Amino acid sequence: MNPGNSTIRKPNRQETLFLPGFCDIGIVFAVVLIAELLAIVLVLANSHNDPWSELGLTSLFVQWIALSSAAVLCLARPMLMRVSNTAAALTSYLLLLLTTAVVSELAYQLAGLQTQSGGVGHAGFLFRNLGMSAIISALVLRYLYVQHQWRQKIQAEAQARVQALQARIRPHFLFNSMNSIASLTRSDPVRAEQAVQDLADLFRISLHDAAERVTLEDELDVAQGYLRMEALRLGDRLQVEWDIERLPRKRLIPSLILQPLLENAVYHGIEPLPQGGLISISGSAEGRRITITISNPRAPDSAGKRQGNQIALENIRLRLQLAFGEQAGVALRDAGDRFETTLYFPREKMQ
Amino acid sequence: MKCLVVDDEPLARQRLVRLLEASEEWDVCGEAGNGEQTLQEVQKLRPDLVLLDIRMPGMDGLEAARHLAQLEDPPAVVFTTAYGDHALEAFETQAVDYLLKPIHPERLQQALEKARRLSQTQLQELQQANVGGSRTHLCARNRGNLELIPITEIVYLQADNKYVTVCSRTLQILIEESLKSLEEEFTDCFLRIHRNALVAVAAIRGLEKDAEGRCCVVLDGIEERLEVSRRLLPEVRKRIKTGVV
Repeated sequence: MNPGNSTIRKPNRQETLFLPGFCDIGIVFAVVLIAELLAIVLVLANSHNDPWSELGLTSLFVQWIALSSAAVLCLARPMLMRVSNTAAALTSYLLLLLTTAVVSELAYQLAGLQTQSGGVGHAGFLFRNLGMSAIISALVLRYLYVQHQWRQKIQAEAQARVQALQARIRPHFLFNSMNSIASLTRSDPVRAEQAVQDLADLFRISLHDAAERVTLEDELDVAQGYLRMEALRLGDRLQVEWDIERLPRKRLIPSLILQPLLENAVYHGIEPLPQGGLISISGSAEGRRITITISNPRAPDSAGKRQGNQIALENIRLRLQLAFGEQAGVALRDAGDRFETTLYFPREKMQ
Repeated sequence: MKCLVVDDEPLARQRLVRLLEASEEWDVCGEAGNGEQTLQEVQKLRPDLVLLDIRMPGMDGLEAARHLAQLEDPPAVVFTTAYGDHALEAFETQAVDYLLKPIHPERLQQALEKARRLSQTQLQELQQANVGGSRTHLCARNRGNLELIPITEIVYLQADNKYVTVCSRTLQILIEESLKSLEEEFTDCFLRIHRNALVAVAAIRGLEKDAEGRCCVVLDGIEERLEVSRRLLPEVRKRIKTGVV
């Protein structure tokens, strides 16, 4: 009934697989370059009578392995994209070792390397190549993985910042809030003052760097201020229930992970309903895990009229995972007439 | 002169009421918080003008205005909006008056002076500018009053001369609209089964043959069977099979 609200868009694996596309001409060039540097290192490490011809031979062999590896990874890419990054890393590592073994064996058999392998014999030749491949493959994969993580983190934070701005400055919210304040200045100056403060806090935090960490207490304050603004606009239609006494107030978390979820709850759960409804926020810290659950009514036709904000949700999930690893995330639950969004992350200090 | 103030936000209504107090000509005769209430209040209070918010839960302002225009003596309408995106563009081309919230008192005064009725064409063009999407209700005139039928309750629509019969589980009523435009507006929820009939996809329970061997649809909550034309039968079968029912 409500696909907009209940399903989350899986992020494209193209973007999340840490390996670059090895069929890409730029990447192939990089592979050739690195392989050549490796060949030079290998030749420099040994003293030879004729370094140039040695370099030629070594280059040929190393390039052969490197390009075969690139081809194998390129062919395996569709399969790697379907599995998790850990499985992809392990598989590609094994593929690289296998490629090295096969190419070495072929070289040994075809090129008559028996005489050139420095007398270490067939097995010695294979082992030496596998050993070098094991170390270099591990280094390269690790480098690619770290670089990928770093790039993702930068992207997520930049995105969060833009979205935070757009979300808080969702024009309807802004102008309707201004309108409420205009109305209150005459009828209830005290509440008008409070509203201006809340609005200012919201704008201030949305101008912050998304990488910044805030205490759970601050995040809850902003969330409460936001809901006060909405309550002003929506009047009796918005009921809010807080149950957050059990949350550790000083825990550091990425900023703006709670407020966008509340915004979704108001936008999808309360605004479309003429009679309004209840949003409840409950937090618990059981065992080693902190969870915060937001529950809102499910509007019957919200899917048709209102576009879901999946990108914001995906962004919050990503930022939580970058901060806390795989033990953190966002879970959605469709409980019939209500919709629940749960944030969870470990209780211990952040990495 | 009487004015009805419509907005789903109580504080927004409060402010408009206060601004209107300054006017000697205009009296606020009532308030409403959504489209359905607006239609009820208008018929009860007969205002000369409705200040109508566009974004409201349930039936929105554009749809309410469209139904209002069917009254024999409809009130003038001035739209209010916080921020309209596409809606504003549509208003500009249609020269319909609208006010941006928070509303300036002078701007309100101007709007009150030139407040006028919306023509049916203006409303239809506004609708076509795709600002409000399809309607949530159909509206029939019943002895000078408006009767609203929620789209979700309609089982079928059948054309007969220049009228269309709207049939729900509980009532049958005539409206003056063309079956073709209804089909275009509600492609997702209604399916054409015959030159003269659209049925609600959600109400279809199956197909059966009648005594003369013609194929008919079985509809939920209704005894009557409607004939499916031979030309449209494959399409109807396909929609039933693909699990939309």
